Amino acid sequence: MDRSRRNFCLGAGAVAAGAASLEPAPAAAIQARRGGDPAHRWGMVVDVRKCVGCQACTVACIMENDVPENSFRTIVSTYEVTERGKAGSTMLPRLCNHCEDAPCIPVCPTGATFQRRDGIVVVDNSVCVGCAYCVQACPYDARFINHETQTADKCTFCVHRVDAGLLPACVETCVGGARIFGDLNDPDSSVSRLVREADPKVLKPEQGTRPRVFYVGLDPKFQGKVDGTPTLWRPSAHADRAHAEKEHA
Amino acid sequence: MDTSIVELINVTREVAWLPWAVQYFFLIGLSVGGLLLSLPGYAFATTFAQEGWRRLGRLALLVALTCGLAAPVALLSDLHQPGRFWHFYVVFRPSSWMWWGSVFIPFYVTGLLVYAWACLREELQEHGRVDSRLAALYRLAALGGGRDDRLIRATGLVVLGGAALVALYTGVEVAVVKARPLWHTPILPLQFLTTALAGAAGLVLVLNRFAAGNDRGVERLANRLLAGFLGAVMLFGGLWLALGLSGIERTHAEALESVANSEAWRVTALWAVLATVVPFAIAVARPVGSGLLTGLIAVHGAWMFRWTVFIGGQTVPKTGAGFYEYALPAGPDGLLGIVGTAGLWLFLLLVITAFLPVPPDPASRPMSRPLRAMAAE
Repeated sequence: MDRSRRNFCLGAGAVAAGAASLEPAPAAAIQARRGGDPAHRWGMVVDVRKCVGCQACTVACIMENDVPENSFRTIVSTYEVTERGKAGSTMLPRLCNHCEDAPCIPVCPTGATFQRRDGIVVVDNSVCVGCAYCVQACPYDARFINHETQTADKCTFCVHRVDAGLLPACVETCVGGARIFGDLNDPDSSVSRLVREADPKVLKPEQGTRPRVFYVGLDPKFQGKVDGTPTLWRPSAHADRAHAEKEHA
Repeated sequence: MDTSIVELINVTREVAWLPWAVQYFFLIGLSVGGLLLSLPGYAFATTFAQEGWRRLGRLALLVALTCGLAAPVALLSDLHQPGRFWHFYVVFRPSSWMWWGSVFIPFYVTGLLVYAWACLREELQEHGRVDSRLAALYRLAALGGGRDDRLIRATGLVVLGGAALVALYTGVEVAVVKARPLWHTPILPLQFLTTALAGAAGLVLVLNRFAAGNDRGVERLANRLLAGFLGAVMLFGGLWLALGLSGIERTHAEALESVANSEAWRVTALWAVLATVVPFAIAVARPVGSGLLTGLIAVHGAWMFRWTVFIGGQTVPKTGAGFYEYALPAGPDGLLGIVGTAGLWLFLLLVITAFLPVPPDPASRPMSRPLRAMAAE
């Protein structure tokens, strides 16, 4: 299991040298991790040049993880960019970055949010009190309160699938092969090779979170808070309107 | 290069800290402020020997008690799983300021109750001497004793420690959130503290009008204090703005940049300035006769500051363009929560003042010399 659905990168040559951007977390943070296999360090590379903005990943994630209506563990942010009179589209799939130094973990007052030894950040929703401190601490707006469980929710890299040897649902369904998932501890893996060779970027590097979701081909204008005209179509607003209309009817 | 970006599709993240949180930070702030204002008249009465401080302290104690008892209810309601609050107490999570808060709050509230009992014991004893059906209850509550200045001072010092810890944790808990530049400033805890003190002085002025005898000496003193606190609010607000405008510190510049282009935020800023400068000017120019007005504006200012920080702050997207929209829901997650908390506070005020009315104003009894001198000024 180390590929995108289309195996774009399968069989690509590997370079043994470690990438500087993959430096490990502080020892104390590593010690606090539990569960998962420490032999692996799961990560994702998103090649935004291949994303067509179809939102199949968004839908697959919702179906796989039973994400409540009006909530999203992943979504493809879509932008129209006009430069020198020419207009084009930019797609930016967003999800939990499963940071090496995740700011959502230390703030959790009950220990419900923790990192597995394979790097996946998860929430034990039987322990979570729904204080939403982690929601505030995440620099990527990747967390939300699930109103069915009334606890914090987020992308888990489809941990239940990964443990069963399957790819995350979003990777499995990606029609453009833009999402590549694999083991960053394996120098021969596609993700390791891309991180070494494709000069990927991470979102908000200045936050010092050391994300383990990398972006290939990302315009730096989209690395942080996007300086643009606000969205024209919002899923929440749409859902609220639809709900109101349904009630009205 | 001339580039324009239009965000076509993105997710709106709803506010996760609800108006309950605003109510909590408002009430606990006012409680801490009230407690601090009560100390000169009770715990440090030998240093601040004027009776004016004692009478102001009595009202401040009322502020501390009513707000301090209502605040934890609002905090609990902000949890999406309030029934699991005990999860805080079965783990050791020193990395989380919220966890520290779960330790400090019971310590502070318990200390406040003991301190208030020590302060009001004299009154309980006096009520126990009156021939009434409740006399036995008052005597029981007084535990057979009366005024004990050493006990008041000792409990006052303990609860002062608790108040300092609460002030520290409520400020730092928010200030450490690096993901939100508007919150991530070391000035925020000081802004919380100074606006809380201003709000507490404001509530003392309001209670002085409605729950006490409209004592002119208290009004003058509270207005002077309010002017001082509002001065500090302006100082820290100005410092934050200067850091943001000068660009010396990146986070402050980012914070200012994230809201500077918004018309709504500009109006809010103007509103905040007016809510600080206007009561400051009135309190300085006319410290007697303006207490209700300055008090109400100050209480409103303390609440509005927290509303802007929490609800306004959460409408600034961390990654997306523009702002998230927020409309106050009518139910428990919105208006009902605000009104309900206010109702709880009012209920506590009525119960406490029914059981222990604020002693009659000086006009109805011989006025002490220092107070008479203050009122005559």
